[in-house]
Amino acid sequence: MVEPVLSVRNLQVSLRSRDGSVNQITKDVSLDLMPHEFVSIVGPSGSGKTTLLRSAAGLRPPSGGQVLFEGTPVTDVPKGLSIVFQEYNKSLFPWLSVGKNVAVGARELPVDEKNQKVSEALAHVGLKGFENRYPWELSGGMQQRAALARAMVSDPSILLMDEPFASVDALTRNHLEDVVLALWSESKFAVLLVTHDVGEAIYLSDRVLVLSARPSTVLAEVKIDLERPRNQIGTRSQARFAELHAEVLERVEAAGRLAVGIDGHVD
Amino acid sequence: MSTVALGWVGILILAAAWQILAILLHKSVFPTFVAAIAAAYHIVTGPALRTDILPSVERTAVGFLISSLLGVGVGMLVGHYRAVQQWTATVIDFLRSLPTPLLVPVAIVVFGLNGKMVVATIISAAIWPVLINTANGTAEIEPTMMDTANVFGLRGRKLFLKVILPAASPQIFAGLRIALSVSLAIMVVAEILGGSSGIGYYISNAQQSFDIVGSYGGVIVLGLLGWVFDTLFLAFERRLLSWQRGTVGGFIDG
Ligand SMILES: Nc1ncnc2c1ncn2[C@@H]1O[C@H](COP(=O)(O)OP(=O)(O)OP(=O)(O)O)[C@@H](O)[C@H]1O
Ligand SMILES: [Mg+2]
Repeated sequence: MVEPVLSVRNLQVSLRSRDGSVNQITKDVSLDLMPHEFVSIVGPSGSGKTTLLRSAAGLRPPSGGQVLFEGTPVTDVPKGLSIVFQEYNKSLFPWLSVGKNVAVGARELPVDEKNQKVSEALAHVGLKGFENRYPWELSGGMQQRAALARAMVSDPSILLMDEPFASVDALTRNHLEDVVLALWSESKFAVLLVTHDVGEAIYLSDRVLVLSARPSTVLAEVKIDLERPRNQIGTRSQARFAELHAEVLERVEAAGRLAVGIDGHVD
Repeated sequence: MSTVALGWVGILILAAAWQILAILLHKSVFPTFVAAIAAAYHIVTGPALRTDILPSVERTAVGFLISSLLGVGVGMLVGHYRAVQQWTATVIDFLRSLPTPLLVPVAIVVFGLNGKMVVATIISAAIWPVLINTANGTAEIEPTMMDTANVFGLRGRKLFLKVILPAASPQIFAGLRIALSVSLAIMVVAEILGGSSGIGYYISNAQQSFDIVGSYGGVIVLGLLGWVFDTLFLAFERRLLSWQRGTVGGFIDG
């Protein structure tokens, strides 16, 4: 039987806020990510998606439950796990050129192999020739592609992405989705993607998980049975796409209504 | 006209105003600009260059460098580790609020009337702007950036040297520049209060022996020293912070 590459079991995270009160962010979240699977997480704002991703990555120890990476409990960021954050401008190092930023992801390799890998990764995301530019000399979409190259350059087995395309315009977003899909289908890594965009989640994923409002649990799991390879126009205009979109959206809205019921407001 | 040229025009106007005012007032306590410049020239070309100017330059540089290294090192620890910050906050607040001139007698007792005393006094004052700025700069680094460092295995020494140091460098440099002018000022104060050589000693000595023109010359030399130090510092800063948006050769967008 195939083992999941990442396994989150009954994850519970409580955070202490400034005034000292303890807030339960996730109550009970479980999920399995199989090798080379593409899974998306959608859920109301503030439902703890970023918190979940940080715990899954070993950046924050959970208050309860367990995270397993390839079968071993995660205590620190595992080798073989990479992340792309939403805020590329806070994630790329502004004092390093694009090439050197990508090389940060390939730290462990010997120098000549590293250079080779960095060039390949940049070529893959369409940034050939931009090695010596600084991140701020690039557009937002290009910066996020650089962050993607940095995450991919070490051939990880898991890529975590936290709303990676939320800060770029719609056209760039479509393009970046296809860049990720192409990278993913050519390699063997699994993806866990957090997004606000239901269409994006469906277009990219094998499964979509809907998170409830805080303190969060997994409300629903929707299998995406659209055939691959997918493309923006063809896939998104299928009747099945519309059905899945309605189904996921309904669950998300239910989660949002629950949130209103509990908090009296939507954040 | 370029800013440099405009700067020179400003200096010329000031010099002319000084010259005319001094001639009109005709007071011995207020020598003319030309006389003061001549005295300054005399200082930098005479034996005082070796006995007073160079020792002062060396003390300022050594005091500033030690303050910088200590301030940046300790500042990064204070800014990064919450526990260190909590344990040191009161001590740091207490030490930095001690008025430096009061420390001169202590330094004299410990080191004697010499250069070491001056260097120690400089450090006691110049370390704080570096330490505080570095600690703030470190504490304000974006959490996403620290997460990124962690994900890509930059920990321990590498975290400090390859991430925290560059990420906090704009604020560190702001602190260093203040520390540089503090170093110069404290150098003079310490040498006046308890020196046996140096530009501060030269100025107070000239004053006490009624060599008014000589003391004005000393002040002009001091001003020039400050200008040279600041210019060198800015050139260094521009080089190291060249990655900052808008400062890299000519490529400015938005
Ligand atoms: N360090 C922290 N200390 C205390 N509370 C925190 C901390 N970080 C986040 N929170 C709170 O935890 C909750 C969940 O935050 P999180 O960022 O995980 O949500 P999210 O689902 O990613 O939201 P969004 O969709 O807006 O990105 C929020 O209410 C937030 O205010
Ligand atoms: Mg988030």
